[in-house]
Amino acid sequence: MNPFVFAVRGLRRQPGRTILGIAGIAATGALLFDMLMLSRGLVVSMEQLLSGVGFDIRVSATHATPLTGPPITNMAETVAALAAIPEIENVVPLRLGGAVVDIGKRSYDVTFMGADVTNRRPWTLVEGRDLTIDRRSTMDPPSRDGASARQAHGLAAILVNRNMAQRLNLRAGSSLTLRGACTTNSSVPPVTFHVNGIVEFPFDQARQLTAITSLKDVARTCGDTAQNEADMLMVASRQGDSPTAAVEAIRRARPDLSAVTNEELVARFQQVEFSYFRQISVVLATITLFFGLLLITVLLSVSTNQRLGEIAALRALGFSQKRMVSDVLWRSALLVGAGGLVALPLGLALSIWLDRLLQTMPGIPANLRFFVLEPRALIIYVALLAVTMAVAAVYPMWTVARLPISATLRSEVIG
Amino acid sequence: MGDRRSVAPARSLLMVHNSKVRRTRVLTLALTLAAFAPVAWFSIPNASAQTEQLPTILISRQLATADRLRVGDTVALSSKPDGTDPRQFRIAGIYEPVADPMRLAATRHEARLHLPDLLSLTADPSDPLSTESVRAINVALKDPRDAVSFARDVSAKIPIPQLTARPAQGGEETATVFVVLDRFHFAIAMVTVAASTVFLLALMLMLVDERRETVGILRLIGLRKSRILLQVFAEGLLIAAAGAAFGILFAAALQGAVNAFFQWRYDTVLVFVRITPRIALRCVLLAVPLGVLASVISSWTLLRSNVLELARR
Repeated sequence: MNPFVFAVRGLRRQPGRTILGIAGIAATGALLFDMLMLSRGLVVSMEQLLSGVGFDIRVSATHATPLTGPPITNMAETVAALAAIPEIENVVPLRLGGAVVDIGKRSYDVTFMGADVTNRRPWTLVEGRDLTIDRRSTMDPPSRDGASARQAHGLAAILVNRNMAQRLNLRAGSSLTLRGACTTNSSVPPVTFHVNGIVEFPFDQARQLTAITSLKDVARTCGDTAQNEADMLMVASRQGDSPTAAVEAIRRARPDLSAVTNEELVARFQQVEFSYFRQISVVLATITLFFGLLLITVLLSVSTNQRLGEIAALRALGFSQKRMVSDVLWRSALLVGAGGLVALPLGLALSIWLDRLLQTMPGIPANLRFFVLEPRALIIYVALLAVTMAVAAVYPMWTVARLPISATLRSEVIG
Repeated sequence: MGDRRSVAPARSLLMVHNSKVRRTRVLTLALTLAAFAPVAWFSIPNASAQTEQLPTILISRQLATADRLRVGDTVALSSKPDGTDPRQFRIAGIYEPVADPMRLAATRHEARLHLPDLLSLTADPSDPLSTESVRAINVALKDPRDAVSFARDVSAKIPIPQLTARPAQGGEETATVFVVLDRFHFAIAMVTVAASTVFLLALMLMLVDERRETVGILRLIGLRKSRILLQVFAEGLLIAAAGAAFGILFAAALQGAVNAFFQWRYDTVLVFVRITPRIALRCVLLAVPLGVLASVISSWTLLRSNVLELARR
């Protein structure tokens, strides 16, 4: 009988304690697995969200996090200058404002954005028609498409997100009246829009009401003269050119602007905004690992101490020292392995629950995940469990290796 | 001092230029001034008086450290991203920003200006109201407990659109963030407790198994099951209480290290871990009953066994 089968039989002989041991390891392992998913979850999720938008570079006026700093002035010239760079395929200026919409007797804040898009859009159309305006609408008379849309309905076109469509019972073709609230002391007249369609924004919060129209109509709604300003430029590098090359080209062309790739933005978030969850996951993973190691060691040590007589008898029957030591190691491997396997579905279920819990935090995009399953987390998890299994077995193996056969048997008989 | 948000703008908005005079430069400057003293006497009649007349500001400790600024230094602030149209200010003091968990990851490079200075610095020439506008007015009540009712009264009696009055403590969003974080940590604690309980049960089963013979002999010499169960209960209680006490002491000892690490990591005076009597009580109330329960459950199977089977070797 090989040591593996021998260890399996030994564990099956005491099903109660084996099942409890596996259950304990499973619970600890699930927590460890979750902490490993949490450690990079936000970063991976943010990477996925950013890359899903279709633009790989963000340009803003300062080094502040995009959409938190001052606007880019002379937007039209800046867009033209960037669009002329060979490494760049598309530039979309974006302005972030605010508006208020009345639902029943209450007023609700709306995230009101303006963008002059061409062939790429940082949103996904769910229903209806997309905005068909180009950047000329900001400075020049409306383009043919934009003009026709406006003439057909007599209203400016707007896109709304699902939350807003549901709350206001909007669909493509509906009218929507917004009051601009882009600055304090704002008291501009309300503007009525024609809802072109319903879209999904990747960074919307769970209950956020969002609407997007052209830059010109944002300026009109906000009642300001800042028509030639944008809070951020979303840039898509040309296929075949790396975003890093495009960023370097932007820095050469316009050193006064701050351009960052998605990777740089994620790295910045990792260093600053997301660091709390990374730190807490490291601390909790360390504590969980230490806790698990301690408990498995105690479990194996007590179990081995109870079997000292049996081990001495087996040694006396001719079982080698190596064979008995490997039996302890196999037992540890079986307990940790079985517990670790059970921990995977348990950890995934637990992560869904914890993710939903953390999602209720304000300011978190609904599509952002705190716990993300990635091969890296799985590999680290398996490696940590393997180390735990080996380290936990060290003391019991040492006890078995140094066991005095005759003295143990004698004490068993006399005791 | 004005509203905190208004007077503590991001560094990118107010460009800070360090014009600190180094010692070597002081010497050079002194010699130059000595050479041109007669001219300087007429052109700069009272330079030191002018420095004294500069408007004063306070800067955060983090900004002072990052830019090596000291009290008395002169800095130039501009509200333009490119640093144009700067104005000179004298640093009157360095302050430790109020620890704000909502701005944990933010670098606190801040300056506090007198409200008129800030308004004139950030005034928008196209908006006449910009020199008359503030984002918030801080009100200190004689009795802070009246904050909620005061805010309600202000909202009712001053019907200005977009005017919102709310207590400074426990803003809705801040409260939600910490409620969520509290729930998250509680959930993690529950999973840890569940894992510990299962392990404890497994360990107790092993320990009880070791005492089969002892229990058998006790039963043979006449001790009743309830008497032995009481003994197991007392043992479990003692062990659980000792374990809980050790856990609390261990956590109390560790909290200093955890706080020191996170305070260093985020350059803040925020306290991250605090073992309060309430938390300690919660731990005891969870740990002790669970420990006792594990002892009793594991012993129960043993006590139900036949006494001869227990004593048999």
